[in-house]
Amino acid sequence: MDLAAQLLVNTLQIGSVYVLFALGLTLIFGVMKIVNFAHGEFFSLAALVVAVLMPVLAPALGLPLWVDFLIALAAAIGAVLVLGTLTYWIGFERYLRDLVGSFILSVGLILFLQGVFVEIFTATPRPVEPIVTGTISIFGGRITAQRLLIVALAITFTAMLYLVLQRTKLGKALRAVAEDREAAMLQGIRYRSISFYGWLIGVSMAGLAGALIAPLTVSQPAIGGDYLIKAFIIIIIGGLGSIPGAIFGGLLVALIESIFGYYYDLTIATIIMFVLVMVFLLVRPQGLMGHVER
Amino acid sequence: MSNAKWADVIGWALLAVLLVLALTSGDTYTLKVVLWISLNILAAAALRFVMLTGELNIATAAFWGVGAYVAAILTAWYKLPFFLSLLIGGLAPMLLSVLFGYVTLRTKGPYFMLISFAFTEVLRLIYTQTESIGGNSGMIGIYPPRWLDPYYSAIVVAIVAALLAVFFWLERGAFGKLLKAIQNNDAVTESVGIDVLKMKVICLAVASFAAGVGGALFAHANRVISPGDFSFLVAVYALAYVKIGGETQFSGAIIGAVLLTLLNQYVIAFGHYEHLFFGGAIVVAMLVLPNGLMGLFERVAIAFGGTRENAAPAARGGH
Amino acid sequence: MAGGTLLEASGISRSFGGLKAVSNLSFAVRENEILGLIGPNGAGKSTTFNLISGYYRPHAGKLTFAGRDITGFKPSKVGRLGLVRTFQHHSLLADLSVYENILTGAYMFVRDAAEREQRIRETAGLVGLTSHMDELAKNLPHGHQRLLSIAIAFASRPKLLCLDEPLTGLNGAEINHALDVIRRIRDDFGTTILLVDHNIRAVMRTCGRIVVLNFGEKLAEGSPEDVSRNPEVIRAYLGGGTA
Repeated sequence: MDLAAQLLVNTLQIGSVYVLFALGLTLIFGVMKIVNFAHGEFFSLAALVVAVLMPVLAPALGLPLWVDFLIALAAAIGAVLVLGTLTYWIGFERYLRDLVGSFILSVGLILFLQGVFVEIFTATPRPVEPIVTGTISIFGGRITAQRLLIVALAITFTAMLYLVLQRTKLGKALRAVAEDREAAMLQGIRYRSISFYGWLIGVSMAGLAGALIAPLTVSQPAIGGDYLIKAFIIIIIGGLGSIPGAIFGGLLVALIESIFGYYYDLTIATIIMFVLVMVFLLVRPQGLMGHVER
Repeated sequence: MSNAKWADVIGWALLAVLLVLALTSGDTYTLKVVLWISLNILAAAALRFVMLTGELNIATAAFWGVGAYVAAILTAWYKLPFFLSLLIGGLAPMLLSVLFGYVTLRTKGPYFMLISFAFTEVLRLIYTQTESIGGNSGMIGIYPPRWLDPYYSAIVVAIVAALLAVFFWLERGAFGKLLKAIQNNDAVTESVGIDVLKMKVICLAVASFAAGVGGALFAHANRVISPGDFSFLVAVYALAYVKIGGETQFSGAIIGAVLLTLLNQYVIAFGHYEHLFFGGAIVVAMLVLPNGLMGLFERVAIAFGGTRENAAPAARGGH
Repeated sequence: MAGGTLLEASGISRSFGGLKAVSNLSFAVRENEILGLIGPNGAGKSTTFNLISGYYRPHAGKLTFAGRDITGFKPSKVGRLGLVRTFQHHSLLADLSVYENILTGAYMFVRDAAEREQRIRETAGLVGLTSHMDELAKNLPHGHQRLLSIAIAFASRPKLLCLDEPLTGLNGAEINHALDVIRRIRDDFGTTILLVDHNIRAVMRTCGRIVVLNFGEKLAEGSPEDVSRNPEVIRAYLGGGTA
């Protein structure tokens, strides 16, 4: 086994999900200028929906497992969209561009949703049967077919988001608002409705990440929280609101994690990531791709 | 007397009531509640002090934790005097905060907020990985001296009141005005010769000393500490007290901490619904009281013919 | 009147993403003069201000202030040495009172409380804001806000006061008042002044000497009469400067 190739394969596999998760966070920041601390809850919800549905769907429908997975994934995103719409209407709509207010609101939401998820789904860890079996070798690095499928889906979703942002009218409006809200509004872009779409797309990215992780792990209500701190490190490195920054940051964090996770353990990897961020800030406080005025 | 002065009177009166209760009550439950309220007030005041510069310092929780671990090690392992451990429990996080602040306070707004969050969670990870301080299960046997035991709540209230008096004095003076100037416009503040980074670091250091002492008092009240006690939620609760009390007023932190801690006493009875209820309470309070209780108080006062105060502005959103 | 050189910029340059905002610019501010800095939009006036006050670091060149090399100094250090600037936008501490605004300007320079009080009163009196001390800066009328931003900077009693567009948005009477304040700061306190403004006529009236910028370079320098007769200057302004 070629170690370097294996580490790269691992990086891609971990990184693809991090990128999806962080993209949602950075998109929401760009448009709404808030940090969604409850991002992990949307991830958890989607993972739990997939983990609950998969064992039910297979015997009920008798379809191939991958079809079941796609149905479960669609259901998970549906649940995330419903939760996203509710939380936006009830809360976040009132805290646009209010960093502190939205922070308390989103943490209050974490506490509340954790309670609700435990009530609905219980705290029992839920594994999912493998969708596909077998192992594939890429450049000398080995990866299970299951994980390869997940990576492929994650890359597809990332590319889709990129296309939406670059090509569609909505995407252009989202980018315009993120860049300069006032100028965008002068051009007739309706900020409130655009920020709602930005929010829904953002939380859906968290949901997609969660739904993709469900078959690779055991899901329980607190699963999303683990991703939050890494996602923060990713967007600090990449620059808040920067889409390429989130992709680069996600892959970098995944690379560090697979290297140090391989030689030491995951906790050490996280600590090292933070130390790197500190060193990085000392040298370049404005972030890698974002820029803080000074 | 203006609304702001009335608010101050209410705040200090609440502290006086806590002190009287701590000195006169023989009821263990009352003493415990008084103790938790006082510690929560201190955490809220420490968080709010850095908010004067416009930054949300989630690492208040981290420095609270460092104070707790340092003081616990000093009394439980080295048998150092309790009050000395409090002092060092304040100084150690203060020093750490100077290093942390020097690097991170170059950033502001969402960046500083996220970094202070990450710092808090990374410190917690480090505690869990350090077997010598008990790893995940933490430390036990952290006692105040036996003779002090009956007065412990009173001591805590007194120390908290003293630290709050320092915060109050600093905020009212030229230094506090400078912090608000930085929040308002750091470029203008810098132009007239004020080293904004240095001022922010000093502000953070003062707040972290207080947070460290708070953590040390917490450790000796709780007798056991573990990494889970020092997650970012410590700062979130502190922020909830500040916000629900009303961040523009100094006493908002006091009023918010008193009310929410009392509320939490009832919530605990809900068992595992505790989080659900407390989270719900925060969300509802945020939606119903955007300027906190002091904001409500001010609105009522204006309705009855009072005047609006030149209160401190809300912390900056975005950057 | 003109004394020695207070500020000397020699060959300073700064570019942003390949675009040269200021290139190889040299000029001197003499002690006790009011020097005007003018130029069409995008000529590099703001960048020059940010360079001399330490908000941008020059990519090349040297800045000497009061005989000291200040190239690369932080804004606060430049300010403490006595070079203080105002801002074109966001020039105030909006949520603070007039008193607190001026206090911030005086803070680093007057330690004694009674003396500081005296400094704040004197500064407020000079710009005519004495009766507005407790008002929040954001609630002041625009004319008063412009004066307050001068007051913040002048409360530090700088050697060199750099004013960035202090006349923008003022009406005729307000312009006269502001120019009067600026002249008194120079005449009564011996403060040297660097003035940037779009109002060419006002600058011509007030300044002893004028430096004209175009495309980040110095186009002309001299007395208001010389400069206004300079064909290149006329062409730059008539041509819109950006043509």
